[in-house]
Amino acid sequence: MSTVTTGAPPRADDTTPPRPASGRRPRRERQWPAYVFLSPWMIGALVLTLIPMAVSLYLSFTDYNLFDPPHWVGLRNYTEMLTEDPRYWRSVGTTLLYVVIAVPLKLAFALGVAMLLRSLGRGRAFYRSAFYAPSLLGASMTIALVWRALFNDGGSVTHVLDAVGIHTGGWIGNPDLAVYAVVLLTVWQFGAPMVIFLAGLQQISPDLYEAAALDGAGRWRQFVSITVPMLSPVVFFNLVLEMIQSFQVFTPAFAISGGDGGPADSTLFYTLYLYERGFTASHMGYAAAMAWMLLIAVGVITLILFRTSRSWVFYADEEGR
Amino acid sequence: MPEPRSGERRLPARRAVLASAAVGLSSALTAGLSGCSTASGKGGGVSLTFAWWGNDDRAARTEKAVRLFEKEHPGVTVRTSNAEFGAYKQKLATQAAGGGIPDVAQLDYRQVSQYAGGGALLSLGDIIEKQQIRTSEMDKSFLRTGSYEGEQYAVPMGRGITGYAYDAAIYKKAGIPTPQPSWTWQDWAEANRKIAALGLKSPDGRPLTGCNDGGGNEDVFEDWLRGRGGRLYASQTRLGFTEDDLTEFWTFCDRLRKDGSVAAARDSTQAKSTETSPMGRGLAAADFTWDAPFPGYPALLGDDVHYAPVPTTGGRQGAYFKPSMLLGVGAHTAHPKEAVALVDFLLNDPRAGDILSFTRSTPPNRKIAARVAATLEGAEREIYDYAQKLEKYGLDAPPTAPPKGDIPVQIAFGRAYQRVMFEQATPRQAARELIDEANRELRS
Repeated sequence: MSTVTTGAPPRADDTTPPRPASGRRPRRERQWPAYVFLSPWMIGALVLTLIPMAVSLYLSFTDYNLFDPPHWVGLRNYTEMLTEDPRYWRSVGTTLLYVVIAVPLKLAFALGVAMLLRSLGRGRAFYRSAFYAPSLLGASMTIALVWRALFNDGGSVTHVLDAVGIHTGGWIGNPDLAVYAVVLLTVWQFGAPMVIFLAGLQQISPDLYEAAALDGAGRWRQFVSITVPMLSPVVFFNLVLEMIQSFQVFTPAFAISGGDGGPADSTLFYTLYLYERGFTASHMGYAAAMAWMLLIAVGVITLILFRTSRSWVFYADEEGR
Repeated sequence: MPEPRSGERRLPARRAVLASAAVGLSSALTAGLSGCSTASGKGGGVSLTFAWWGNDDRAARTEKAVRLFEKEHPGVTVRTSNAEFGAYKQKLATQAAGGGIPDVAQLDYRQVSQYAGGGALLSLGDIIEKQQIRTSEMDKSFLRTGSYEGEQYAVPMGRGITGYAYDAAIYKKAGIPTPQPSWTWQDWAEANRKIAALGLKSPDGRPLTGCNDGGGNEDVFEDWLRGRGGRLYASQTRLGFTEDDLTEFWTFCDRLRKDGSVAAARDSTQAKSTETSPMGRGLAAADFTWDAPFPGYPALLGDDVHYAPVPTTGGRQGAYFKPSMLLGVGAHTAHPKEAVALVDFLLNDPRAGDILSFTRSTPPNRKIAARVAATLEGAEREIYDYAQKLEKYGLDAPPTAPPKGDIPVQIAFGRAYQRVMFEQATPRQAARELIDEANRELRS
């Protein structure tokens, strides 16, 4: 990258080697094998992603109950959702609360553990795998059911809290606490961002810390002035991914609430409500409209994150900008 | 795995973050959408498909009855499939959307309108008239529960009724007389107060209350409403009760819970089964329940638990005989004759009756029910006697099959009352919200 001296930002085209003028025709002829090898993926993308997306968009403008053919209702699903359905907004509120609490908590936890692991010499590989394990298990129904048993009335968590003098009763039956049982389950699965943080931390040159230490910077100062800016692309990457995933949280909420988003709608996450509309109430059109609203909302939030990132994310390949 | 040396890997570039964001986003659309596959088969002669839901005991008995049918009808093979109720509902809905339900399918009361209205079920009116499915031993008004817009589409397979499981020992200790079919909601409220006043404790040291909170249970509300001459649905598109009715019911329940006569909110919301319900955990002395699951109560809690009628308003019983499940024939079946023969066999053949027994509640065929009942004992005998007793006492005719939107309304009912329990809404606000939601469901 350092070879670019014109001052213009580097572009992907610049990195392709210059091709000889006479080589153009044969190159094009040899393109078809690429498409042959790509075809399984392209067929998959078309049949399993693009066509279902198009159908979903169409269905979102219809009333469809699986039995009668879809019947065009224009924007009614969207207007009903936005103006007439109090539960829709309740599910939006619950989901936002969850995203705002769970994502930063999980990332902070993942970063903390990653920094501990970095300072570890021997056995790092073992601990890294051990801490990663919950992420492999966490999405499963079984763990969610175990979670439910832990936080139920008479579950282990309530016993432990009782022993230290905090009497919460079962979290699952309490609308003020149930959502935090789901948050804790999410935070517990910090493995994936942790591994990415760890990889990021290992790329920060020890020279930087050495230099800072020589200049008298303490640990906190090193963290704020070296670790955070150097790690910012990784933080950003994790933030975007976790945010998108958190908007789609489903399995833990489904299992912990027993599928109904209760008690009193306190765990009625967006996707859970979407599922209920589609598969319990048989309003597939409404559910499709909800899916598109989610796509748009998450897309907009991602875009905003990307916009703000320009002011706080430092890319190694943008040096000198 | 060797550790990467520092500086060897590049930090993720902006482009990579964008790409993964796009992948994550597109999965938002396909999340939650899943299908079910159906088994396909072959065979000479006539091959029928028959699907139902239920536990292992029901599965074993149903298989045995089906094998007997095959023996009686050479050349006909029946391919069966069963699942638990939640999965079954979705599978059947997917099959209906895909163009055909099985030749013979077990249906829930709440599915009849949806499937009949959607053209998935064969009309059985002529077939019943020609006695190809015999119904002479069935109660006429009970048979009508399988009709949609005046036309018969399904035949009940079992007859269930609501009732009241209670601990007779605790009732005796509190000096409450044995509940009779004419006892009233006021008697019931008074009984709960007396039990709470005993000051007994549950195994984990919390106070024993009179009963599970019935406020979130649509079945209890329906019994309460019918005892006052009302009904849940006026038609396929209209509710049969008003905001005032529901407000009154919820205020009544809310007060009993607040004064400690019935189970606390957090215990009601955690109840997902008999074991986890307040009664199962020793926090309440009674529970509203259907007759079919009742034998599970004495099995769990001891022989002091008996089955009593639901309270009335001025002696008018709101309980009614409801089809615990029905049988329907797929509209697109290639072998209607054989499918109809299988339905008739399962409902009316005495040997099939012996095999199936009470696995789907009381058989609707009176002769078969009496014959099988003679062999029953304990809690199963008790529910049979209970049904006989209430039939003699006099019950109002059952409503026709509930409208298409009934399932979401039933779920919404429990949820709306949760908002009352946790003081997020007053009974009137919650009633208003429930009625709005129900009207939206019934409209579409």
